[in-house]
Amino acid sequence: MKILDFFRRTKAPGAKAGEDLFKTKYQSFKKLLDANNRALEIMSRLETVSQGDFVFDIQYIRARSDAILDVCQVIIDELNVLGNNRYTALIPIYEDIKARLHQELAGSSPPGGDAWTLPLSRVDRRLLAEVGGKNANLGEIKNRLQLPTPEGFVVTAEAYRQVLAENDLTERLEAFFQEVDPDNLADLTAKSRLLREQILQARIPARLAQEVQQRYEELAQALGRPPRLALRSSGLYEDQEFSFAGQFLTKLNVSLENFFPNYLEVLASQWSPTALVYLAQKGLARRELAMSVGCLAMVAAQASGVLFTEDPAGSHTGVMVVEAAWGLGPTVVEGTLVPDRYLLAKEGEIAILEQHLSPKTFRLAAAPNGEGLATEAVPDSDQVQAALTTEELLVLGRHGRRLEEYFGEPQDIEFAVDAGGQVIILQARPLTVSRPRPEALPPERLAAHPVLIDQGTAACFGVAAGPVFIIERDEDLSRFPEGAVLVARYTSARYGSVIHKAAALVVDIGSATSHLAILAREFKIPALVDTEKATQVLETGLEITVDADRQRVYQGRVAELLGPAAPQKGPLLAETPLYATLRRVLRFITPLHLTDPKLMDFKPESCRTLHDLTRFAHQTGIAEMFELGEQARRQEAYMVRLKTPIPLNLYLIDLGGGLRREVRGQFVSPEDILSVPMRALWRGVSHPEVSWAGPIAIDVKGLYSVVSRSLSAAAPQQGDFWLRTLAIVSKNYLNFSSRLGYHFATIDAYVSEVRNDNYLSFRFKGGAADEYRRGLRVRFLGAILQKLDFDIEIIGDLVVARLGKYPQPLMEDKLDLLGRLMACARQRDMVMGDARIIDWYVQAFLEGNYRFEGEPR
Amino acid sequence: MAATIVIVDDEPDLLDLLKLILTEKTDHRILTTSDAHQAIDWCKTYNADVLISDLRMPEMEGIELLKIMHKIDPNLPLILITAYGTIESAVEAMRHKAFDYISKPFKKEQILMTVDKALKWRQAQLKA
Repeated sequence: MKILDFFRRTKAPGAKAGEDLFKTKYQSFKKLLDANNRALEIMSRLETVSQGDFVFDIQYIRARSDAILDVCQVIIDELNVLGNNRYTALIPIYEDIKARLHQELAGSSPPGGDAWTLPLSRVDRRLLAEVGGKNANLGEIKNRLQLPTPEGFVVTAEAYRQVLAENDLTERLEAFFQEVDPDNLADLTAKSRLLREQILQARIPARLAQEVQQRYEELAQALGRPPRLALRSSGLYEDQEFSFAGQFLTKLNVSLENFFPNYLEVLASQWSPTALVYLAQKGLARRELAMSVGCLAMVAAQASGVLFTEDPAGSHTGVMVVEAAWGLGPTVVEGTLVPDRYLLAKEGEIAILEQHLSPKTFRLAAAPNGEGLATEAVPDSDQVQAALTTEELLVLGRHGRRLEEYFGEPQDIEFAVDAGGQVIILQARPLTVSRPRPEALPPERLAAHPVLIDQGTAACFGVAAGPVFIIERDEDLSRFPEGAVLVARYTSARYGSVIHKAAALVVDIGSATSHLAILAREFKIPALVDTEKATQVLETGLEITVDADRQRVYQGRVAELLGPAAPQKGPLLAETPLYATLRRVLRFITPLHLTDPKLMDFKPESCRTLHDLTRFAHQTGIAEMFELGEQARRQEAYMVRLKTPIPLNLYLIDLGGGLRREVRGQFVSPEDILSVPMRALWRGVSHPEVSWAGPIAIDVKGLYSVVSRSLSAAAPQQGDFWLRTLAIVSKNYLNFSSRLGYHFATIDAYVSEVRNDNYLSFRFKGGAADEYRRGLRVRFLGAILQKLDFDIEIIGDLVVARLGKYPQPLMEDKLDLLGRLMACARQRDMVMGDARIIDWYVQAFLEGNYRFEGEPR
Repeated sequence: MAATIVIVDDEPDLLDLLKLILTEKTDHRILTTSDAHQAIDWCKTYNADVLISDLRMPEMEGIELLKIMHKIDPNLPLILITAYGTIESAVEAMRHKAFDYISKPFKKEQILMTVDKALKWRQAQLKA
C-alpha cells in the first residue's frame, strides 16, 4: 500500500501515531460518505414508491427500514471515529427513532397478542394491532406525553375475535362479504341490518365477562367511585391514515350492568352501511375491521369541543381552530348546533386571535336517572357566554401544539373541560386539511349566472356541479344518485355512506370540523357548510355549481369555474393500508428539519428523523476533515514539498493514491500529483494568466492600513510572509490550507465519479488592510463565488462558500476557478479603496482579466 | 375480453393491492386467496387464464405450485412475484417454465403489461 511505503520513506521517528490517525480518520470519512450515499438512495427510493403506482409488501418496508437503520448506524459510528466521540449525543436519538420505527412496524404485524382486556395505563402504539388506532393514540397521550386523559381500560381486538368465534359469526361474516355488493346500497342496508342483529344477540364469553368486571372494579377503586363509562370504538385503522370519522359508534354514560349490550352495539356499528361503504371505497379488506373498544370513565363535561391544530378549511395559516359548546361533545362533532369558534395563534406564545360566540340553546348531559344522554335547555343568560375561559383555551392550545409535535402532523383533537376547569384530551387523530386553489377568476365573468347562495364556510375547497338531491330522512340515502350534490339540513355522519358518490356537499347548519366535513375532505368533495338556507333555496333535481373556494352556489353549470378535468375519485393505490403504513414509517425517515448548517439548531439534539441524522453527520464530517488538515499542519514528518516557481511554499501529504507511486525523496513536481481535486486546483493556481510574482501596486491609504495592522499584536512577522501551504491529498480528496500574506484560505473537497459524494468547501479569511478594505475584498470574493454557483455566507471578513453534488468535470472546473481566484484575491484588499469599483473587479475576473489590466484608480 | 385471474399470496395486503390494480384497469375476474391449494382448485374450477403467485409462501413454495399447475394445465401462464434480492430463485422458476417473474417493488404498469402478455400467450397456445 502506497501510503505506508510513503510514510516509511519519509517519516521521522515518532510519526507512526500521526500516520495511523490520518489513515483511520480518512477511512472513516470515506465510509461515512459511502453510507450517507446509501442512505440517500434508500430514502429516494422509498419516497418514489410511496407516491403510488408501486406494488410492494410489508416485508419490503421492513427490509428497507432495516437497511437504512444499518447505514445510519455506520454513519454515526464513523462520525464518532472522526470526531473522537464528540457526537455520542446522536446515539440515543438514533436509538429512539429506531425504537419508534420498529413500533410502527410492529403495529402492522398480524395480531399476535392474546390479552382480552388491558388497562389504559399499559396501552401505547406498540399495541396498535390489538387496541386499534384511537386507543393506541390515547395511550400515547396518557402514558408518554402525560397529558390529562380519562382513566379507563380497553377491550382488545382479540376479545372481538373471540366473541365472533363463540357465536359462529366468523363464517357468517365471510359469507356476507361474498354476497354483498357495496354499490347496491339498498341490498347492503338490508344485509347489514341482519348481520348487526346477529351481533347484537351474541353471547359474551365467560372470560370476557369476568375480565371486564375486574377491570371495572379496579377503575372504580382508582377513582374512588363506580364510574359511568364512555365506550368508544377503536378500529384497526381508525384515526390513523383513515379517519372513519363518525363511522363507528360511541356510547356515553354506560353503567356496568348495561356494559355488554352497549359493547355489542359498538361492535355492530362497524357493519353499518356507512362504515362498509367507506371500507370498500378506501380499498380496505374485512379483516381490517377487527374492533377494539375503549372503556373510559365519563368526564362530567362542563364544556366540550374539538381543537384543530391547523385551520382544516385552509383559510388561515399559523392558527389553531377551537369549536366548543356546553355539555358533552356530540353537539359539536355531529354539527347539531353552531358552536363557539376561536382562533388561536400557534407560533410563539399561544394567544387568542378571534372569538365568535354563538347562542348555544341546548346542551347534552348524562341522563340524570338512567343510561345515555339527555338534552337540556341552556339558561338564557348562559347561551351567549363563552363555553371556554381564556385560561382553558390557552391550556388547550398548548396541549394541541404538543400533540402536533409529538405525532408529527396536524391533529384533530376532541376534548372536554370538567367541573374543575381541567382540560381533558378524549382523542387525537391526524387532520385532513383542505387548501384553497390558488387561481382566482374575475367576478365579472360570473355575473351571468344567478347566485343562489353566497354565504357559508368552506369545509373542503373546490368547485363541482351536479343536480341537487336533498336528504330529509335516512331512507333517502338509498336513492342518492351518483354525481348529485348532497344537500341537507345537518352534517350527519350517516351521510358518509353516500359521500363518495356526491359531486359536492351543501348543508344549512354544521361546521368545517364535523365528521361529515372530515369525510368530504378525505374524498376531496367540495363542501359548503353553515349556509343557513340551502334546503330552503335549493330543490331536488335543480342543476347547480358549488364553488366552495368563494363560498357560493350558482344556478346551472358554470363552465368557467369547473375547469377541464373532474377530480379523480374512488379507491387509489396510495390510499391502501400498505401505503398508509409506508407513509407512517417514512415520517421517521425522510422529513428534513436540519436544513441550514448556519443555524443555531444545527446540532444532534435537533435531529428528529434519519434524514436529519445523515445531514448532520455529513456536514459535521466535512468539518472534521478540516480539523484533520489543521492537525496535519503540526505534523511535519511525512511531507513532500512541491517544486514550483510559484511562491506558495506548498507541502503535500498523501493519504493514498494522491501522488505518483514512484515519488522518491523530499520533492515532487506538479506532474506527480494524481489527486483529482488537487490537480484541478493546481490547474487554476498555475494558470498562465494569473500572476503570483511580485508585489501589487498599492495606494497610500492601503499601505498605511497595512502598517498600522502590522503594529497590532495578531500580525505575522516579516519573515513569515510566505508561510507554508499544506495540502492533504488522496485520489479523490483534498484538504488545502494556505496562509498567503495576511489572509488564510482553506479548501476541502472530494471529487469522484460518484456525483453524490462530491463537495467543495472554501473559506477565506483575513487580510492585511483595515476592516473596511478587507470587507470590500470579501464582497468581491462573495460576488464571484455566487456567480460560480457557490452557496456563500459572509461573517465579518470571513467568507465561506460551499457547493456539492456536481458531476466530476464541473467540480474540477470549480476548483480550477478557485485556484485562479485565490491568486487574484491576493492582497486585493490593499488596492480596493472604494466600494463602487467592486463590480469592475468582479467583471474583470469573469472575463478572464486575471491581471486586472486597466484597473480603475 | 374478460379473463379469470387467480392470485395467491400469503400476504393479504399484497393481494388487496393487486386486486385493486387489476379491477381498476381491466374487466377481468380476479380471485384472490392466501391458500395455494385453493388456488389450484380455483384454477381448475374456473378454468383460470392466468395464475399469479408469490415465490415464497409458508405452505407451498411457488415453484412447487408451478410444477403442479404445469401438470394440470400446461397452457396456464404462471407469473411469479419475487422479493427484493431473490433473483437466483426467479431464474430457477423460469427454468421450471414460469411464464415470467416480477420483483417487488414493481410499478402497477408492470403487472398489467405482464398479465396482458400472459393472456396473449395463452390465447396463442389454445389456438395452436
